[in-house]
Amino acid sequence: MAAPVVETVELKKIYLLGKVPVNALRGVNLKVEKGDFVAILGPSGSGKSTLLNMIGALDKPTEGKVFINGVDVSTLNDNQLADLRRSIGFVFQFFNLIPRLNAIGNVELTLSIAGLDKNERRKRAEELLENVGLKERMKHKPAELSGGERQRVAIARALANNPSFLLMDEPTGNIDSKTAKEIMGLVKQLNKDEGVTIIMITHDQQLATQAKRIVKMLDGSIIKEIDQL
Amino acid sequence: MKVGDVLSYAFGAIRLRKLRAGLTTLGVVIGIAAIVALLAISQGLQATITDQLQSGFATDTLIVSPGSGGRLLSGVRRGVSGSVSDFSLMVNDTQIINEIEDVSASAAVIQEAGYVNSGDRTVQAYVRGVDFALYSEIYGSTFVAGSGEIPLNPDVDAVVIGKRVSDPWKNGTTICSVGDVVEIVWTNTTVRPPENKTYAFTVVAVLKEVGGLSLTGPSDYAVYVPIGQAQSLFGTDECDRIIVKLASEDDATIEAVSEAIEAAFNGQVSVTSATAVLDIISSVFSTIELFLAGIAAISLLVAGVGIMNIMIVSLMERTREIGILKALGMKSRTVLAIFISEAVIIGLLGAIFGVGLGWLLANVAARVFTGGGFAAATGQAATTGSFVINPVMTPTVLLGAFGFGIAVSIIFAIYPAWRASKLKPVEALRYE
Repeated sequence: MAAPVVETVELKKIYLLGKVPVNALRGVNLKVEKGDFVAILGPSGSGKSTLLNMIGALDKPTEGKVFINGVDVSTLNDNQLADLRRSIGFVFQFFNLIPRLNAIGNVELTLSIAGLDKNERRKRAEELLENVGLKERMKHKPAELSGGERQRVAIARALANNPSFLLMDEPTGNIDSKTAKEIMGLVKQLNKDEGVTIIMITHDQQLATQAKRIVKMLDGSIIKEIDQL
Repeated sequence: MKVGDVLSYAFGAIRLRKLRAGLTTLGVVIGIAAIVALLAISQGLQATITDQLQSGFATDTLIVSPGSGGRLLSGVRRGVSGSVSDFSLMVNDTQIINEIEDVSASAAVIQEAGYVNSGDRTVQAYVRGVDFALYSEIYGSTFVAGSGEIPLNPDVDAVVIGKRVSDPWKNGTTICSVGDVVEIVWTNTTVRPPENKTYAFTVVAVLKEVGGLSLTGPSDYAVYVPIGQAQSLFGTDECDRIIVKLASEDDATIEAVSEAIEAAFNGQVSVTSATAVLDIISSVFSTIELFLAGIAAISLLVAGVGIMNIMIVSLMERTREIGILKALGMKSRTVLAIFISEAVIIGLLGAIFGVGLGWLLANVAARVFTGGGFAAATGQAATTGSFVINPVMTPTVLLGAFGFGIAVSIIFAIYPAWRASKLKPVEALRYE
């Protein structure tokens, strides 16, 4: 059997808030298999964002290990970490698009970081934006797009490099409920039809129920795992 | 990420902040323009001076003048500068000099300032007494008749006149030409009260135009009378200088003969060679150029600080963007490359416009200088002035300005770019 897409072992993170040490994670063990759709649910301060940073190879744990596709992240150097991040599709609450680039430019940027040449990435970016329903809005800059559209661009960008999983941080946290439903529809469809592995972080109980599995966190620990199937 | 993509990303970032990037570029433009303009003018000036000196100063000649003060450009009048000694150089001292090895000829020059009257016109001129035969042997290319003929055994009243004495306004209006009888007026200041002496001479030749400053050789602004006549007119056997023609113009000969002449006169004469003068001029100019380039370089350094400043501000503003790029898998060295590229683009644009502006400024300044200097004094247009500076742009200046501009841009960008590349993605993403 293939290694899990993501596995954390006794993951601990202590950081200093001013001079006060904060135990953000107190030994988290999590396993996400290929094709899974996991919602990590918890109130703010529960450590879910810290966990996201560890899984996304954006930050280093104080103790414990993170394995992505069986690779121990702590053994990687700066360049290898950058390569690893290319296999993770980030979707942020505040979209984090580059404002001066239009929709297609944002998607292409990811592809150009991966070293694709101009023609290839243009074609791929058009395909991706078409898939998220933005065929007509490709030339618009983020400021000219609605929240829902921006998040679609972000999702298209996250999918650009065929990531091993999507890592979503409150993907609907900044958009209205109707659009949020559409976005979640798109996410579920990606998971169901294309088998994209998804890890979603949210504080929204309602949203979490859309996932196949809910992992509840509180005070830096996993307190409950609910299988919804 | 491919190099082209890095550059186009960097260029996009610059375009977003046009005004700020433009002002930063302007700083580089000014710095480079200052360097290029100052060096181009100074090298043009050097070329002009060297040129003019060479045209009136044969390289196989030495000038012997009285006094040991190292008077480089042998004085126009005795005693104008430095130490005045009792020693006088005599016309027949050429005999001593002729005995020295490697001297092929020597000619004494007596010189006084005076006037030439022709009809109702008067022109100021140097009156020089020279041996026509020897002088034309030494200055074979410049002491040459443009009209008439320079006699080797001249009559006592024969005079050879410089081009500008014949045609003082450079427009073909000659005040005297071959065959005319002119009056040469010399003021004897050795008696009290000073008295004017006037002698009549017949013009036998007008020299070809010599051009240049003619500090020591044949001059457009002089009249030449036979030396014996000059001795009796001026009532002296003292000469102003002795021109020595060498058998060879290699440095060793120049050195050996110079020393031999100084020794023959017990160190009471100074010997000047064209090469020595040119060497000194070139070394003076090197110093001046270094000084000017140094001043201009300071302005470029200020521009460098400007680059660093804009990059650090840009780094703050783009912290989040850098976080995004890193989350998308961009390597630290690519972030570094983007920031350095932005500086290189600014430096390159600054260098291109700076070299252009500098060249323009050099030409404008050269024109103003030329037009406002000699031309204004003589009432001539700048282009016909005898002293024209043509700014010189050597490949060294061009490449140096480019290289220095880009180097300064990169050096001042290294720190901000390094900081950008070292940003931790998680902190950068959190940055508001």
